[in-house]
Amino acid sequence: MGEPLAPDQLAASPGPDLPGPFGVGRYARKLQEEMRKRARVLLVGEVTGIGRSKVQAYFELRDAQGAVPCAIWLDDLEKAGLPEGGLRDGAEVVIAGGPDYYPGGGQASPSFSFRATHVRLAGEGDLLARLEALRKQLRGEGLFELQKQLARPALPRTIGVVTAESGAARRDLLAGLERRGWRGTVVWGFAPVQDRRAAPAITAAIQDLAAQPAVEAIVVTRGGGSLADLWAFCDETLCRTVAMLRVPVISAVGHERDSTLIDDVAAVACSTPTHAAEAAVPLDCRAARASLARAASSLRRAADSAVGARTPHLVALARGPARALRRERLALNQKTREIRAASERGIAERLGFQRRLATVVLERARRRAVGPDMERSREALRRAAVALRAHEPERTLERGYALVEAGEGEPVTSAADAVAARHVRLRFADGKVGAEIEERD
Amino acid sequence: MSEAPESYEAAVERLEQIIDRLDSGQAGLRETLDLCREGRDLVTYCTAELDAVGESLSELKLDELAAKLASSADSGDS
Repeated sequence: MGEPLAPDQLAASPGPDLPGPFGVGRYARKLQEEMRKRARVLLVGEVTGIGRSKVQAYFELRDAQGAVPCAIWLDDLEKAGLPEGGLRDGAEVVIAGGPDYYPGGGQASPSFSFRATHVRLAGEGDLLARLEALRKQLRGEGLFELQKQLARPALPRTIGVVTAESGAARRDLLAGLERRGWRGTVVWGFAPVQDRRAAPAITAAIQDLAAQPAVEAIVVTRGGGSLADLWAFCDETLCRTVAMLRVPVISAVGHERDSTLIDDVAAVACSTPTHAAEAAVPLDCRAARASLARAASSLRRAADSAVGARTPHLVALARGPARALRRERLALNQKTREIRAASERGIAERLGFQRRLATVVLERARRRAVGPDMERSREALRRAAVALRAHEPERTLERGYALVEAGEGEPVTSAADAVAARHVRLRFADGKVGAEIEERD
Repeated sequence: MSEAPESYEAAVERLEQIIDRLDSGQAGLRETLDLCREGRDLVTYCTAELDAVGESLSELKLDELAAKLASSADSGDS
């Protein structure tokens, strides 16, 4: 560091009781020495802001947590043997080196940088190591569980989809939705899915979709590729954003063997866009329609049989009182008839009795009124009638005699009258016959 | 329907409960008729939900959705 300036060279003490003051140039060189003593390490990150001077290339190496300004002499860069344009913005690289400090000079500005002596493109192993570290960190913060606790609607009406505008994933997802029989609304959040702009664009698209109340689930999908191709989906900011959303996110990035960080934080991780369609719309609409039809049929049968099965019993119950009434009515009618018949018999007997009684009473009264003389006179009269009747011609005729009548029925009582009459009628007991008088004997 | 179901899933779950109860043969006449009426309402609700996503797939970009919603809000205000 060198000797401090003499006290008389100082106008006044500028601060507390510290060593110094030292000349800044000497301090800067000392700083450079200290920096160069630091351990040499490997760094991995994404190249941004690449630029070149006559002697060196400079860039920032960054990831989601921070960045370091870097520089590499062109000689060293050439020795690295990178492919043409290999060191470019967005490239994932591993550099070896250590911190350095350029003290500047009378006309040159000082600067800090990580002086890289070697550089290579990051390989699968480097990315996997970074991915694993990030995964461990996010898991430790509990960010893997948040999305999985969200309820996913079985039948969303609107789903958001983040994918590349032109790509097989878009087509496959639509085909998957069609197979579910789902024809709701798909809101596309198109974004690049493979370059250094991809992660921020995907993050913005997801946030925009989640801000729409109509969007009930979000699918993030792209086709397969290397881990470097899929690296945007391992972006820490993107994954933290997804983890904190209140809308469920379904990831379908790469193929089955690919595992990106968004798969860990999403509500559901799917191997293909078709699978993502099934996760976004858990209900198979075609099967659901068939199931509803069966349910409606069951309800109809239940309603019908609820009444139908009880009807015979109800009818029987309903007929019970009517049968009893009919039985009672018949019994009542029978009794009525019997009573009427008995009553009529009683009346007839009573009338007969009364009639007989009246006859006897009347006869007794008559006899009392008429007295014994009347009775004798009646008897004499009856005997006279019998005697008179014995003298009637009819009685004589009954004994075999005949009466001769002429003209208007005058009796012919002599032979002379008979001859004179010539035409007579003979009257017998049983009738009359005509007779002609021939001559007198 | 006295009260709209909370969701399609809730409606289907209740519908399954109703059919199980009816299939058990334990429900009396009044309960059976009430369950059938409730079940029919649920089937109607579920069918409407399926119909809402059964006509034709609609594809929108995010800004189109926002414009559509803004337009709906405007017509709702007027």
